[in-house]
Amino acid sequence: MSEHLPPEPEADNESQEHRLMPDAHDPLVAGRRARRVSVLEWGQRKLAWIGRLTRRQARFMLIMLGASWGVIYESFRAHSWRRTVRYEFVSTMNSIIRGGLVATLFAGVLTGLAAVSQVIYWLGLTGLAKMTGSILINVVVREIAPILVGVLLLGRNGMLSTTELGLLTIGGEIRSMQAVGVDPFLLLVMPRTLAFTVAGFTLGILFSFASLVTGYVMSRISGVITNPVWTFFDDVVTAMSGADYVVIPLKFITVGFVVGLGGCLTGLTATNTDTLRSLLPRGFSRGMLIVMVVSVLFSLEL
Amino acid sequence: METYSSGPLLELNKAIPSFEESGLPPLPFSMKLMPGDCVVVEVRDAARATMFADICSGLVPLDGGNVSFMGLDWTQMKDRALNALRGRIGRITRRASWPEFVPTHIAIMLQQLHHTTRPQDDLLQEAARLAEWFGLPGLPTLSPALLSDTDLCRAACVRAFLGRPHLLLLEDPLEGGPQELANPFLGAITEARDRGAGVIWLVRGNAVWQRYRQGITASWRLADDGLAAVRMA
Repeated sequence: MSEHLPPEPEADNESQEHRLMPDAHDPLVAGRRARRVSVLEWGQRKLAWIGRLTRRQARFMLIMLGASWGVIYESFRAHSWRRTVRYEFVSTMNSIIRGGLVATLFAGVLTGLAAVSQVIYWLGLTGLAKMTGSILINVVVREIAPILVGVLLLGRNGMLSTTELGLLTIGGEIRSMQAVGVDPFLLLVMPRTLAFTVAGFTLGILFSFASLVTGYVMSRISGVITNPVWTFFDDVVTAMSGADYVVIPLKFITVGFVVGLGGCLTGLTATNTDTLRSLLPRGFSRGMLIVMVVSVLFSLEL
Repeated sequence: METYSSGPLLELNKAIPSFEESGLPPLPFSMKLMPGDCVVVEVRDAARATMFADICSGLVPLDGGNVSFMGLDWTQMKDRALNALRGRIGRITRRASWPEFVPTHIAIMLQQLHHTTRPQDDLLQEAARLAEWFGLPGLPTLSPALLSDTDLCRAACVRAFLGRPHLLLLEDPLEGGPQELANPFLGAITEARDRGAGVIWLVRGNAVWQRYRQGITASWRLADDGLAAVRMA
């Protein structure tokens, strides 16, 4: 059918486009211009893009650092713990711990199952199956648990905080709060971050306990371990170094803290151009990155 | 509420709002509001009215001049004092102001719960009394998202007048609000003024406040040429 259509002269087309779409922001016009720019300008634009990206990420890191200090500082001031702040802290903590309890225990059981079956298989080959307890501590509790608990916290509640605060910021409710002297940092960021911190520790310990118990049950069923449960836990305790008693809880606490703070700050720093479509991926990727960085930093150090 | 009587309650002294932040004309605004005064400011654009209320609350950065509330310059105060002082302002705004993470009755009392140590039962009683005054069947406990616009308008009035604020920045709730809200609203303004509160009533047209004409202290108009006093006939 297109064969029957008369070919349109190119010059006419162009002039018609100019008449119909004189807007300089038109993507067609912009695209044509972009093709004409020199290699130097192209390079400059790419450099500017990298610069913008770097500045934005660095800005968020700096905000995180400043806000971390702000949360710690304010949390030690009795005057900060007003009843509205206490209400927000308790309700957020209940929501995280109660809401995430089953999921965390289930994840702990699954991790215990997966880890133990692998440990039994590999240590069975070398005749070191009795080291199951220490392997569980080193692999599951010290390395896997903080990451999985962090991911659970991020997915269940961190993203919720990002969405909630993001919508409040974009909608103007945060500004309305500021107008009557209700500081959103004090009312929302500080109590939520601390609630995440407490919840991170609680859920992390529960996760570890679930995975260790599952590990013991699996080992007992498969006949690798014949000791009673308290002997197994004694082995686990013996396998832990003195530093583990500090590092493991600290890891859970830090993961909870940064996930909570990162989620709240991503929401609070939303701009009018943001939508859920841009906010949620940003919050998730930042959260994942933060969890991984914390985990790796602790592993590197100790 | 102890009455403030050491000079103007609110004073805009050649305050030039930042155009980038507010969109208001970068011209010097001057105005004084004494305790017990009720000033009407006509602003055609609702967004500008909100911004003007923001200037009065010290939320908009200034390119010049200053804004003082209760004798204190907003720009000279630190965050904690700033927030405490803003806690004495009751506000009805057209900007979204109902957070979804708390039920409506908590949202109504949020400012008072945050800034004061008044017992919650005491606050609940006062809020329930005001809710009844403004025509609500009781203090709404549902989420704000489940309330009608009319009920939210009434709830906004309850929130603004709760806790006997020193300054009331009221973006006209009568326009587009329920007709029967007029009497309780004007009554609440009179009661607030009697105890020494200053009122800035931001309206779109002069038809709204004609019923309260005798009670108005001064009338102003905010337009592209700045803030100008309007002579009352």
